[in-house]
Amino acid sequence: MIAVTGLGLQSPHGEDPQAVFEALCRGESAVHEVFAGELPRPAAAATVAFDETRWFTKLQLAGVDRVSQLAVAAADLAMRDAALPEGSDPARIGVFVGCGMGGGAAIEHAYRAGMAGGRVPPLTIPAFMPNAPAAHVAMRHRAQGPVLSYAVACASSAVAIGEALHALNRGEIDLALAGGSEALIVPGVVAAWQAMQTLADFAPDTPGAAARACRPFAADRCGFVLGEGAAFLVLEREAQARTRGARVHGRLLGYGTSCDAAHLTKPDAAGQARALAAALHMAGLQPRDVGYCNAHGTATRIGDLVEAQALAAVWGSALPHLRVSSTKALHGHLLGAAGALEAIVTLLALQQQRLPPNMHGDAAEPQCALNLVRAADIAAPGLQAAVSSSFAFGGTNAVLVFGPA
Amino acid sequence: MSSLAELQELIERKYGIAPAQLDPQGSMRGSGIDSLALVEFIFEVEERFGITLQSNPDVDTLAELAQLIDEQRAAKAASGATNAASEA
Repeated sequence: MIAVTGLGLQSPHGEDPQAVFEALCRGESAVHEVFAGELPRPAAAATVAFDETRWFTKLQLAGVDRVSQLAVAAADLAMRDAALPEGSDPARIGVFVGCGMGGGAAIEHAYRAGMAGGRVPPLTIPAFMPNAPAAHVAMRHRAQGPVLSYAVACASSAVAIGEALHALNRGEIDLALAGGSEALIVPGVVAAWQAMQTLADFAPDTPGAAARACRPFAADRCGFVLGEGAAFLVLEREAQARTRGARVHGRLLGYGTSCDAAHLTKPDAAGQARALAAALHMAGLQPRDVGYCNAHGTATRIGDLVEAQALAAVWGSALPHLRVSSTKALHGHLLGAAGALEAIVTLLALQQQRLPPNMHGDAAEPQCALNLVRAADIAAPGLQAAVSSSFAFGGTNAVLVFGPA
Repeated sequence: MSSLAELQELIERKYGIAPAQLDPQGSMRGSGIDSLALVEFIFEVEERFGITLQSNPDVDTLAELAQLIDEQRAAKAASGATNAASEA
């Protein structure tokens, strides 16, 4: 069994996992308008109030994009939280990082400078390469085992955590630092997402409209909002964690992945169901054993319907007992870091026996027959297992199953 | 003419390293300015002084870098003077 012994965050709701969880339980949205007047359409996002000088000197920031800065900070907090003893064999430490796109700010700056006839900064390439976050985390902690990056769009960091689980179970490493990072709140990337027609519309002049623009599983849902941030977990085999007296936040019980192999961007219920079933199988659980699903829940018209179909296909008659929420309504869609942030939220739900509510969906979509977590009813006594789902453009699905400590 | 003082001012502004903290005769790499930071710094220097240095100049101290810049600036000034003379 794999124990989670460290949590680290740089999220739109802050960096203290418990405080982040409490904010989510209160239904507080971190989404706000961005780039007002700069883009053809109003844009909203959830951003991180980040002080990079806590982790980097100005010299160390040469060629380090925000996506790597956030990763280093979150991974460092996870390692501190794990309080590992000195003298671990660096070759037995692995780093598994999900990142959808890499350093968006670096590449956008380079394009703007270059197209305007200026010079392109010389460290643009190492700044934007998608494996830079993993490399920076590895250098910071002298991790010399497998240091791998997973670019699986919105499933990236769920896949990273799942692959870390496999590496630990295969005995290849003794410790995994697994998670993800994404920092794409730059005008060019936001404009590209707007062009994709998947972002939520909102009335920029209406107070609070941006904050509640993302409405998962609601009848009036209209897409997601982007978020940025990084989230990391320290994973180790339970025997080792127990031997060293580590504080265990929870256990990673299972991981399932599959590919729709059907359409680049349109989700497929059968593919998602295969990942859900595979994750339960690895965990040795039946659907009725699982009390909570932190859904992918992007609030797109089709995405939520397909996810509800997939859950219904796997849970069957146990579906009413599965309580569901998508916290993307509050922290936005962290893309490559979404799975890791939502994994931490799921772990804390198990630990606290409380569920973050599914917000902004007062009028639920009638075709999504899900037991959505309501703000007035978040207690979950006896919760023994929970799943966190991540379904990606490209068709790859990843599901993690967690249990309490 | 020496560019050293201007380089020191640039380093202080960009990296927060005061002139007294960085010995002009000492190794820059030894002071934490690794090869990547140096590449970025030289890019800034070129922008600032309007010169072009080779992409990986063989300099290890700030004094050596200042001398290289002095030479480039002198060469640029000389060629500017020649051009002005030929146009006259």
